[in-house]
Amino acid sequence: MFLAFALITLLGALGMLLQKNIIVAGLFMVASFFGVAGLFVLLGNPVAAALQIIVYTGAILVLVLFVIMMLNSHEEEPAETSRPIQRWVSVVLSLALAAGAVKLVLASKGLQQLAEKGAPVPQGVTLQGVGAVLFANHLLGFEVAGLMLLAAMVGAVALTKRNL
Amino acid sequence: MDTLASLLHTSPALAWMVVKIVIVFSAVMLLASVWTWVERRGSAMIQDRIGPNRAALFGRIRIIGLAQLLADGIKFFFKEDLEPTDVNKGLFWLAPFLAFVPAMMGFAVIPFGRDFVSGGATYHLSVLDPGNGMGMLYPMAIGGLAVYGVLVAAWSSNNKWSILGGMRASAAMVSYEIGMSLAVVSIFMTTGGYDPAEIISAQGSLPWHWNVVPQFLGFIVFFTCMFAETNRLPFDFAEGESEIVAGFNTEYGSMKFSLLALAEYAHLMTASALVVTLFFGGWQVPFVAHPSVGLSILSFVVKLLFFAWVFVWIRWTLPRFRYDQMMRLGWKAMLPMSMVNLVVHAWLMSHGR
Repeated sequence: MFLAFALITLLGALGMLLQKNIIVAGLFMVASFFGVAGLFVLLGNPVAAALQIIVYTGAILVLVLFVIMMLNSHEEEPAETSRPIQRWVSVVLSLALAAGAVKLVLASKGLQQLAEKGAPVPQGVTLQGVGAVLFANHLLGFEVAGLMLLAAMVGAVALTKRNL
Repeated sequence: MDTLASLLHTSPALAWMVVKIVIVFSAVMLLASVWTWVERRGSAMIQDRIGPNRAALFGRIRIIGLAQLLADGIKFFFKEDLEPTDVNKGLFWLAPFLAFVPAMMGFAVIPFGRDFVSGGATYHLSVLDPGNGMGMLYPMAIGGLAVYGVLVAAWSSNNKWSILGGMRASAAMVSYEIGMSLAVVSIFMTTGGYDPAEIISAQGSLPWHWNVVPQFLGFIVFFTCMFAETNRLPFDFAEGESEIVAGFNTEYGSMKFSLLALAEYAHLMTASALVVTLFFGGWQVPFVAHPSVGLSILSFVVKLLFFAWVFVWIRWTLPRFRYDQMMRLGWKAMLPMSMVNLVVHAWLMSHGR
């Protein structure tokens, strides 16, 4: 099961990178997100899987594909001037991201509990649990994120609608 | 169930799972195909016509035109499978499946009858057992995927009308999803849980305790959004025959078209199952506190068919909205209404009713 979902994720990501047609690339990205959702289910976190599908595949990517179709640009456009520094910066940033992710996973409580014998098995996450944690421990972050989204929304409306 | 499982050399749980999947999917498929006929007969009834009643088995057995289903199916299978020259082949073939699979999958989490105990084990009448952690998030997630079928069909056809239809439909589906989700969230809130089994048992058997009475506003919003989600009239902007030929399925023919059309009806069945589960007590039988299993399934099916009929009824009663009117309705009427619903119920809950 794990191998299947991991393969879906990786092949989807690879297909997205290699595909020249951007709509097909977007659909590969959907497949990749599906693989990630499957991995979440295997990790005993169905809420994260459902949210992954609702938010990323159900909303964000639909909007991205929608915009691509509206602009009707089917092919990847070559960059006007190639800047090799961009490539290096992206390599460094993605390596940093990967290192951070691995460190987070290795430091997680669930993994340490798996190493000890007889420790309680980490329980599946429920929506109630997520809500309680969000509003009890991470209230500030939650409010800041909400405010930022609101600001982005107001900005988008202000930019597109000149005469309100 | 145990004897059946031992005959097949599997565990009872596995055998029961297979039985459930077969029952649910074949029932939804059958209902979806029957509903193509109900739609045609219903439209005929509403418009004072007769409708399809000529098809007959062996030229004799008409069964009020139900043989039309078989005739349609056979016709679609034997039609030439046209593929326009400039389509994106892979996606053109993939699109009907992308439309059909989510429409069928959404049903998996819905309990269609009460649990029963047999041989010391409890059996749940839903494909995914309650307590799976996904609960009502699952049909919402799957419902969000239904956009891809329309979008991919529209884009891969390489036809301006198709792309117009697909874009209008995807914009509509995404905007109505917000109002729908907020209506569902207020149900999660009053129930205190998000598992369909919890939502149903919290509603009880008295009709005035069902969610439709305290959350009538939420019901209106949810039901309207379901029309947009299933792409049916008065919101069928994916097709819009009078404006953009046939929208996203202009280039489709034979069984591929049939699959797209069936996906719409399967989606309709899932949508009415959701309405029944969330607002009309699911399998609860009115005034019967502890119904038998058969009675609870019957109650669910009756409610389901009623709402599926309401979908047909409204389709042939209301004219199609204009696109901007629909967007205005979605953003300026449905979204505020479901927010009011949410806030009012939050306020009521904080004051202990």
